[in-house]
Amino acid sequence: MKIVGLESLVFAVDDVRGAARFLVDYGLTAVDVSDRGGRFEAMDGTAVVIARQDDPALPPGPVPGCRLRKTVMGVADEATLGAIAAELRRDREVRRLPDGSVESIDDCGFVIGFQLTARRPFVLPGEISNAPGGVVFRPVNSLGVPPPGSVIRPRSLSHVVYFVPDVMKAEAFYVNRLGFRCTDRFTGTGPFLQPAGSLDHHTHFLIGAPPHMHGVEHFTFHFGGPSEMITNGYRFVEKGYQAFWGPGRHILGSNWFWYFNSPFGCHIEMDADMDQHDASWQPREATASADNSQTFLLKMRKKWYPGPGIPENGDYA
Amino acid sequence: MATTRERAPAGWVRLCRADDIGEGQSRGFDPDDEGQDSLFVVRWQGQLHAWRNACPHVQGAPMAWRRDAYLNAAGTRVVCHAHGAEFMPDSGLCVQGPCRGERLIRLELVVDVDGELFVNK
Ligand code: FES
Ligand SMILES: [Fe+2]
Repeated sequence: MKIVGLESLVFAVDDVRGAARFLVDYGLTAVDVSDRGGRFEAMDGTAVVIARQDDPALPPGPVPGCRLRKTVMGVADEATLGAIAAELRRDREVRRLPDGSVESIDDCGFVIGFQLTARRPFVLPGEISNAPGGVVFRPVNSLGVPPPGSVIRPRSLSHVVYFVPDVMKAEAFYVNRLGFRCTDRFTGTGPFLQPAGSLDHHTHFLIGAPPHMHGVEHFTFHFGGPSEMITNGYRFVEKGYQAFWGPGRHILGSNWFWYFNSPFGCHIEMDADMDQHDASWQPREATASADNSQTFLLKMRKKWYPGPGIPENGDYA
Repeated sequence: MATTRERAPAGWVRLCRADDIGEGQSRGFDPDDEGQDSLFVVRWQGQLHAWRNACPHVQGAPMAWRRDAYLNAAGTRVVCHAHGAEFMPDSGLCVQGPCRGERLIRLELVVDVDGELFVNK
C-alpha cells in the first residue's frame, strides 16, 4: 500500500470568489477557476479544490457543516490502486470514477480518494543555514532573508488534521487497511501518521474529540524553509487575514508552523522543515500540552531600538 | 440613551457612524489598540449587535477569516473561522459546530442623536 501522500483536498465553500482570493493570497496558483470553483496548486501540482456548497457533484462531509468533502491520496502505480480498491471492497462500497481514481470512505466518515500521483517532480534547493564548521552553505553573496517582492510559493500539500469521535478506530483503519505507520503520539489525543510511500513525519494527524467537533482542525502546505514561510505569513497578515497561532516550531515533527483562520471551517497552516523518518524510527509519546507542541513561538516587534518616536530605552513592553 | 461624541460616559467608546454598517455586514474594532480586533459589530434584520471577538470554543480565539469578515456569505450567521462554529447574529447562540449551545459575549451599544455608534467596553 505505497501511498505517497496527499494529492488534493476538496472543500465546499459559500463564497467562491472570497475563497479563491484567499488561496491565491496564501501563495497557491489558480488553475481552471470559475464562479463554480476551481483548483489551486502548489509547485508540485498537489492542490486544494473548491466548489460551491450547492454543487451536486460534491461528496457529503462526515457531519453537517464540515466543508472538507474529500481527501485524495496519491499512489505510485496502478497495482497499488487495485490493491487498495480490493482491500476496501471487503467491507465497504468502492467506486471507480471516470478519471480512473478510486473513491470510498474511511472509518470516521471522511470520503477518501486514491489516484496515480500527479505530483510533478522539481528541483529547487530549500533554505540553507550558514554555520561555522558546516558542510553545506548558501552560495556566497546569496541572501537568507527573502527580499521584498520576491515570489514565495507553497511547494507541496503537507498534511491534514482530523477531529474524530473514535480515534482508535480511525487509527486502526489507516494503519491496518492502508498501511500507514504511527511516527509519534500525543497520549490520549492521537497519532501522527505516515503513509508507506513517504518519509514525512506525518501526512495525517488524528485528534480524538467529542462527536460535535467531528471535522477538520487544519491542513497545510510545505514551504521552502522557515524564513520563506514566516515572510509569507507576514505578507498574509498584511493582506488582512487572521493569524491564530504562530509563527513557531513544533516539537514532534520539528515543523515550523503558523496557523490562520480560513473560509473552509478549519484552520490553514503554513509549514516548513518537517522531520523525515523511516521504518527504523521508534515512535515517541508526549502529552498534548502547549509546552509539548511548541518549542518556541516568535513575536514580531515593530520597534526594537531607541530612535525617532521611540522611548529612550527602546520598546520592550 | 443619548450622548455626544465629545463626551462619552466612562467606559463608552465611539466606534463609527451607525449607518456605516449595512444589513448583513460586520465590522471589527480594536478600541484599545491591541493590534487585533477585540470586538465586532453586525447588523442583522436592521438591528446592530456587538460581540467580543472571542470564540467560546477556544478561549479568546479570534473569529474572522479576514479583516471584518465575521459572517457567512449569506450574512445570516456569525461564523468562527477557526473551526466553523456558527452563531445567531442577534442572540450570539452557537447553533452549529464545536461549541453548540454556548454563547458569544455581548457588549452594549448605543447610537447617539448624531447617529454615532458607541460601545460599552
Ligand atoms: S475556536 Fe471557534 S470554532 Fe474553534
Ligand atoms: Fe500541522
